[in-house]
Amino acid sequence: MNTLRRSADFLFLALLLGVLIAFFSGMSDHFWSMQTVNTVANRIPPLALAAMGMTFVLIAGGIDLSIGSVAALAGAVFGWLVVDRGVSVPVATLAALGAGALCGSANGALVNWMRMPSFIVTLGLLEGARGLAYLATDSQTKYLGERLGALQATVPGLGLSVAFLLAVAGVLVAHFVITRMVFGRHVIAVGTNEEAARLVGLSPGKVRMTVFVLSGLVAAAAGLCQVSRLGAADPNAGAGLELSAIAAAVIGGTSLMGGRGSMLATFVGVLIIATLEAGLAHLGASEPVKRVVTGAVIVCAVAAEAARSRWMARWLNRSGN
Amino acid sequence: MPLRRRCEIHLLLRMKSLTSLCLAVVAMAAGCLLAGCSKSETAAGNAPAKPRVALVMKSLANEFFGTMTAGAKAHQAAHAADYELIANGIKNETDLSEQVALVDQMVAMQVSAIVIAPADSKALVPALKRARQAGIVVINIDNRLDAAAMQEAGLQVPFVGPDNRAGALAVGRVVTARLQKGDAVAIIEGIPTADNGRQRRLGFEEAIKEAGLNLVSVQSGQWEMEKANTVAGSLLNAHPNLKAIFCANDNMALGAVAAIKAAGREGQVLVAGFDNIKAMGPLLASGAVLATADQHGDQLAVFGIEAALEALRLQQTGSDRSTPVDVVAR
Repeated sequence: MNTLRRSADFLFLALLLGVLIAFFSGMSDHFWSMQTVNTVANRIPPLALAAMGMTFVLIAGGIDLSIGSVAALAGAVFGWLVVDRGVSVPVATLAALGAGALCGSANGALVNWMRMPSFIVTLGLLEGARGLAYLATDSQTKYLGERLGALQATVPGLGLSVAFLLAVAGVLVAHFVITRMVFGRHVIAVGTNEEAARLVGLSPGKVRMTVFVLSGLVAAAAGLCQVSRLGAADPNAGAGLELSAIAAAVIGGTSLMGGRGSMLATFVGVLIIATLEAGLAHLGASEPVKRVVTGAVIVCAVAAEAARSRWMARWLNRSGN
Repeated sequence: MPLRRRCEIHLLLRMKSLTSLCLAVVAMAAGCLLAGCSKSETAAGNAPAKPRVALVMKSLANEFFGTMTAGAKAHQAAHAADYELIANGIKNETDLSEQVALVDQMVAMQVSAIVIAPADSKALVPALKRARQAGIVVINIDNRLDAAAMQEAGLQVPFVGPDNRAGALAVGRVVTARLQKGDAVAIIEGIPTADNGRQRRLGFEEAIKEAGLNLVSVQSGQWEMEKANTVAGSLLNAHPNLKAIFCANDNMALGAVAAIKAAGREGQVLVAGFDNIKAMGPLLASGAVLATADQHGDQLAVFGIEAALEALRLQQTGSDRSTPVDVVAR
């Protein structure tokens, strides 16, 4: 019955995505094309990665508001090292990812040791990491050109970028970890009931730490994807990324209370947001309209999903399952 | 439970060391602040007659405003005997309330003049009115205050800055000269509420109209690279015959260039920018961006400061001045 319920959740989301695609295809001449698919696919890796990290944190019962700033910081560190310090690209990449992991461990450490709510801790880093990004770039956009172009190379015949394939691979691995691995169960256990998890011998602190480091790390990877796509490191990059990631996770049915969430559903949430963005730009919608529509779709998606699962639960009960 | 007890002690010790670290950091920060304050006090004490000019900027995180501020500081260093400079900015381009608070603070500090790049052309009017009532000279730079809002408030503030519309028209012409009548083009504008963004859009539109081109879409990139990249990507898909994209600033032009490259249409779609930031160099050289406008960012705040000093000297409110905008093309 659980499988039935989960696949129904997933089908519903896919249906919603289908409706959006059909709508935009009907409204704009050129929306229904391979080119649109490629454009959307190649611009989502940062959001897909960030949303994946966010889903981990949410399932563990926390929240990570710092990911947008951490993404910018990673890009800034990369740009600074490569442009101003003449460091080689592989080393700079490692340093950028390291900066992300460091931010994540700072979040985890403060949440664990100081017993502070993750909302507050990561809010602090949202400011702090952004400031560091400005310091690293001297508040200037660093032009990088092709130096991280490898991520944007497209697979011949498919038109999909390496970054996209990496992001999809990351999502699949994360899905496997959550559904099939012991660590995934631990994350769910800690998010569902921390005290119970402690009583059965788990270490919630360790689980939380791992989850935050992971979130910082993928946020840094998201920042690097963005740098590679834009060919420049912008210290303002990734502003609001955390909110889009939360929106994607929530559309995908992840609970903000912890303990429940699916990586695949989050990914569909990302696709829904990206499709909406691309479609509205296709139609040439004005900025205010774009915002109103995007907000409405997020709320409606979650509301419809909640109504559907209530209805389905009742139906299952009545049929005696 | 000896183990658990030990862990607790360990944790306690850790927390203690963390707390002392925090305290040390706070103490250091306070020390720096105090040192900074006393320094400016002695400076004021030495030359009491020296006017104090407050520069209130938009986001200092934006390279353009950073350059403006750096130019102003260099100017002050060269004219240290003439005036004192207090430079401030907000962290986010759209954070109006923070900028209003800054203006109020400057009024409370009783500065002689405020040179301001308003984050919004209307919302800052009441705060600046308070400043004028306090007898402070106010000079408007960068983004022009709304004439109707000023009239309603009974406020007169001179604007010292570039003619954005003329600049955009000149940049636009460099691009339109390469196109045929009827070619499809698009504009990526800034935040629609900002006057400089509106003026640039009008300038681009004028150039497009002159050349008889077909303007297929005008969308906002919110002044940001990433937003502009998304919009440009969709524009390229929606209009397969698109020939040019006019961007209201260089950051958005960077985003558009990346989108054109991703679509494999390099050389087929021309790009125009505005601001001439450093990152434009290689793009102008390769032809990825055809032209941008240099409004001499490092001098923009300086022009405003000079106007403020002159107004203080002559004891007048000052009058509008337009500063040079040059087209930069390969």
